[in-house]
Amino acid sequence: MSILPTTRRRGADDATDRRLPPREGEVIDRRRTVGFTWNGTRYTGHPGDTIVSALAAAGERVFSRSYKYHRPRGLLTASYLDPGTMVQVGDEPNVRGAHRLLTPGLEVSSQNTWPSLRFDVKAVNGLAERFLATGFYYKTFIKPERLWPAYEKVLRTFVHAGEVPPDTDRGYYDKRHAHPDVVVAGGGPAGMAAAVAAARAGASVMLVEEEHQLGGHLRWGGPGDRAALRDLRAQVAAQPGIEVLTDSVVAARYDDNWIPIVQRSLPGVDERLIKARAGALVVAPGLIERPYVFAGNDLPGVVLSTAVRRLINLWAVQPGQRAVVLTANPEGDAAIADLEDAGVEVAAVVDARRGETITAAHGRQGVRAVELGDGSRVEADLLVTAVGWTAPTSLLNQSGDNPVYDPRTARFRPDPARMPEDVLAAGGIVGEGDVAQVVEHADAVGREAARRALRTAGTAVTVPDLAVADHPELFTNGTGGFVDLSEDVSAKDIITAAAEGYDSVELVKRYTTATMGPGQGKLETVNTVAVLAEATGSTIAETGTTTWRPMYAPVTLGALAGRPREPVRYSPMQPWHERHGAVPLVAGQWIRPDHYGDPAGEVTAVRTAVGLIDVTPIGKLDLRGPDVPELLELLYVNKWQKLGVGRVRYGVMCAEDGVVLDDGVTGRLGEQHYLMSTTSSGAAAVWEWAERWLQTARPQWQVHVTPVTTAYASINVAGPRSRELLGRLTDLDLGSESFGYMSVRTGTVAGVADCVLWRIGFTGELSFEVHVPAAYGLHVWEQLMAAGEDLGVRPFGVEAQRVLRLEKGHAIVGQDTDGLTQGFSAGVDELIKLDKPDFVGKPELVWQHGRDTHPRLVGLRTLDGTIVPPEASQILDRAGGIAGRVTSSRMSPTLGRSIGLAQLDRELAAVGTRVTVRLPDGRDVVAEVTDRVHVDPEGERQRV
Amino acid sequence: MSDTAAPLARSPIAPSPATVLDGWEVSARAATGASTLSDETPLAKVLVRAPFDGAGREALGVGFGRTLRTDLGSGAVLLVGSAPGEWLALGAPGTAPALRTALEERLAGTGELTSVLDLTHGRALVRLQGPAATAVLAGVCAIDLADTVTPDGTALRTSVAAVVTDVVRDDVAGVRSYLLHCERSSGQYLWDALLDAGSRSAVEVTGFRGLGSGGTAR
Amino acid sequence: MMLLPCPWCGPRNAGEFKYAGEGGARPDPATTTPEEWRRYLYFHANTRGWVTESWYHGAGCRRWLVVERHTLTHEVREVRDAVQVAREGAR
Repeated sequence: MSILPTTRRRGADDATDRRLPPREGEVIDRRRTVGFTWNGTRYTGHPGDTIVSALAAAGERVFSRSYKYHRPRGLLTASYLDPGTMVQVGDEPNVRGAHRLLTPGLEVSSQNTWPSLRFDVKAVNGLAERFLATGFYYKTFIKPERLWPAYEKVLRTFVHAGEVPPDTDRGYYDKRHAHPDVVVAGGGPAGMAAAVAAARAGASVMLVEEEHQLGGHLRWGGPGDRAALRDLRAQVAAQPGIEVLTDSVVAARYDDNWIPIVQRSLPGVDERLIKARAGALVVAPGLIERPYVFAGNDLPGVVLSTAVRRLINLWAVQPGQRAVVLTANPEGDAAIADLEDAGVEVAAVVDARRGETITAAHGRQGVRAVELGDGSRVEADLLVTAVGWTAPTSLLNQSGDNPVYDPRTARFRPDPARMPEDVLAAGGIVGEGDVAQVVEHADAVGREAARRALRTAGTAVTVPDLAVADHPELFTNGTGGFVDLSEDVSAKDIITAAAEGYDSVELVKRYTTATMGPGQGKLETVNTVAVLAEATGSTIAETGTTTWRPMYAPVTLGALAGRPREPVRYSPMQPWHERHGAVPLVAGQWIRPDHYGDPAGEVTAVRTAVGLIDVTPIGKLDLRGPDVPELLELLYVNKWQKLGVGRVRYGVMCAEDGVVLDDGVTGRLGEQHYLMSTTSSGAAAVWEWAERWLQTARPQWQVHVTPVTTAYASINVAGPRSRELLGRLTDLDLGSESFGYMSVRTGTVAGVADCVLWRIGFTGELSFEVHVPAAYGLHVWEQLMAAGEDLGVRPFGVEAQRVLRLEKGHAIVGQDTDGLTQGFSAGVDELIKLDKPDFVGKPELVWQHGRDTHPRLVGLRTLDGTIVPPEASQILDRAGGIAGRVTSSRMSPTLGRSIGLAQLDRELAAVGTRVTVRLPDGRDVVAEVTDRVHVDPEGERQRV
Repeated sequence: MSDTAAPLARSPIAPSPATVLDGWEVSARAATGASTLSDETPLAKVLVRAPFDGAGREALGVGFGRTLRTDLGSGAVLLVGSAPGEWLALGAPGTAPALRTALEERLAGTGELTSVLDLTHGRALVRLQGPAATAVLAGVCAIDLADTVTPDGTALRTSVAAVVTDVVRDDVAGVRSYLLHCERSSGQYLWDALLDAGSRSAVEVTGFRGLGSGGTAR
Repeated sequence: MMLLPCPWCGPRNAGEFKYAGEGGARPDPATTTPEEWRRYLYFHANTRGWVTESWYHGAGCRRWLVVERHTLTHEVREVRDAVQVAREGAR
């Protein structure tokens, strides 16, 4: 039968209708048409068409320009892996044109071609070829470094990739956790049979297929294959325990069968990443047809036999008019039959099993002629190759197996004995056989997978052997050509790399970038290995393969990122802060007011009147039990046995290496009831720390530690008029007699019972820290602001508090100390009680104290008080070396000059010593070491 | 001391529109669909600490990982075995002091170190209910939600949308329902994350449900 | 991500736990030497094989656990609550 195509004019291009009459098994719906544009020109296809099948049906042969050399590229595999058919669709770059289905109105364009796909300047002037030598990443652009921006600009114009416009919608990328008993990777005959068998055995199954329908190669086979397909599909549909995921890919296999699956083609969702934890994984991806390496092998018109069969049988597209077929296996033979059936003239059959071969393909925009091994030349627009198979063993590699090259079948094959219990393989990756044998084998594998996943008692299922067909070893004919069409790596590049000493496959991969493109080596790796083996005079088995790491297929960043999910914490007063112009500060997970527009004014309000700060993030731990004092003695460097009920005390914790861990005050609320406060950032760590000591080292102690950080809204009322303000809202006696400095009381504030108040002084002013049951926090805050209006009350933020505490010389753990600062370098010498029998970190502190060589935390003032050295400015010793650093530095509104704290070598730490501070801009300024307390060194203001 | 307005208790989850119920600001919204998310923060929440396998556990009648509906004298209570040696008792709004007392009485005389703390203000509590609940939760939680693994009455703690959360399966009249509670300060975030995860499943916000059976007020 | 079988919560993703490494016995702080103390702080065998480690189930039961894990295969052969281990050790 011969099909005579009709010719139609489309735009400026000559294009031909290559659509065949209706075929049994085709996946297109001819009753409807779908319109789309390709590089601005209107085209139509049918539902079921891919972008590339619709374009091929319209006679298009060139779909992109290659990555480095800008050579014209056509379709090769007509599948997801097709290296030459990446296109831009609307604002989405790098779309697999041979996989993406047509939908109405798609705007498709070729990527990075200039000025047009047909005529590309970079290819014409040959610039690229001279420019991009083997290993060009390493050779061409190393030096001089200052020219890198220029290099990058040049390189960018060559990169084969689409564009993401900045106003692109962020999309909805979903995530889902799943716990199937069995995941089956691959929905061909083996995958379907394994899934059905596992489901029948009672397992829940996820059956994952990369293509848009189940069936694998049965879909483009003959009548027998189609009958088998109908039967298997019916069996799958009859199992409610099977969840079928098409247009989806098992991206990787991690420890304990943690399996990411990317699901596409979902309504209202761009992509979904399923994080599956499976009882068993059945790897059934089938086989991938391998391209042949020869001169001209990247010309449009050089295609694989499976591509020909897919085009003809799935989309009813005539792939060319006059073909040469190089065949070494039944798939190639079947392609010949399909071609003849589709009206393609088969001008020559080259049978590699008889030792026949081809030399090269010739042409410019596409194949024009094929030179055969006997020297003859055959005019043809299509060269079909069927030279062998690659087993996509990635998921098995990731499970611990290292596939071994088998020369008899000319491919790397898995070793089932090396796979973990919970990973099995079925289908073409194991062996070929006919459909019935493959199904029988997969059925047993599916039953065994279910048995292992469900931990069913009894003996293992006997899995029959699957026949493996011999295949001639055909990788390259030695005439050149490309081994990696995605990355534009030629056989010559591999040989050059080997000659330059990159003679291991892992080195060659990185040096040439072969196998590192969008196909991730599925078409390319074995040919790379074969060419390298030949260049180094070794065998393929000796050369070995590269490691197949995750991901199996490229995954979008959107799929990995999923929904924006960064936990944030808010205080109950956050709505008030937002209404009153607070500038937010991100402190860990907390969103806090940094200031309300005027931090200096906020400082002055606290020093002269009264201010409120929201200190809810301060960590709070409720401690109960008879052994709490023991715990406090262990965790803190100071003493706690004599803390009376109603009193609070400041404490510092060190780790076992003596490094300062955290600080805060702890109050005793009752005989066996304490409330500990920690730094905001240390809340979780201190809790965990306390539990660690209690659970691992002191299990006999009777203590309950319960975090209550956000059970309380915490408000610090600070300033000379704080007592007056708070007194308006509580019946508690706030007088210094009954509620002295460093005391704790509980009572009612603004009508809210069970508030905890402690009188402490981080700011150096008279201040009360009020801990309010959190649901009433906003109420109490608003009452305080209203009641204090005539007193000049102002809210203050973290910045004002930093200034206030710096004026007072209080260190902040993590700012004035770092990961190496031991206790005696933190300015808390008088607190550390080395006469205690034990506490965490004590030995190190004993030794630090004995050596007495440690840096000190000192006050620092520049002689010129208008200069505020940036924090982390270095302090120099007399020889110009580094003697310390400025840890805190601010302009003090109270003193009208700059003040700071510094970590400084012992030799320079005496008060009055003059030191040199080097600013980041290189200037040196002179500063004087001072007492740490810059304001009110006697502490009179906070004790009133 | 001057007169002040009556204190209004607020959940960390901003209600819109708001109404007041038992001194708490709550959502006035009433969902029409089957799958809902409701803010249950006003419920009384009392934490109990005691040895996981001692006389206290006997007295409470439920162990780690399970829930018990009971009445300790303060009204209906959902008692949750939230961790080894840790229980959370949930009761009607305003009953926390009575619940605390009831629990202390129940545990008195065990001879064990027991702590009873009112954490009503320390936690955010939401209920995710309806046919879409499982799918929504599976979007943000790695736990297997199948009946065979986590049936009705299961209590566990895990990471939900990257926040440590107590998950309690508490079906209402045969309808799939989960109580989720986390530290109060993370409440709005968890709420937003659940709504976002459910934005493709038609989960609707509805008003306070309380501990009673499905949908009706307490 | 590997699973860690928590004795309280069952198998959970390792991301729920904090890894705290190999534990060593704490020397007597009254008599220890810098050499001995720093061996306790910083020196670990880093064995290729079975090791005894501390993990903290921070996103679950909040229990410190003593885990016997094979560093090559991630196989876990025993996980016990640290309190139980500490009490046995004290006996």
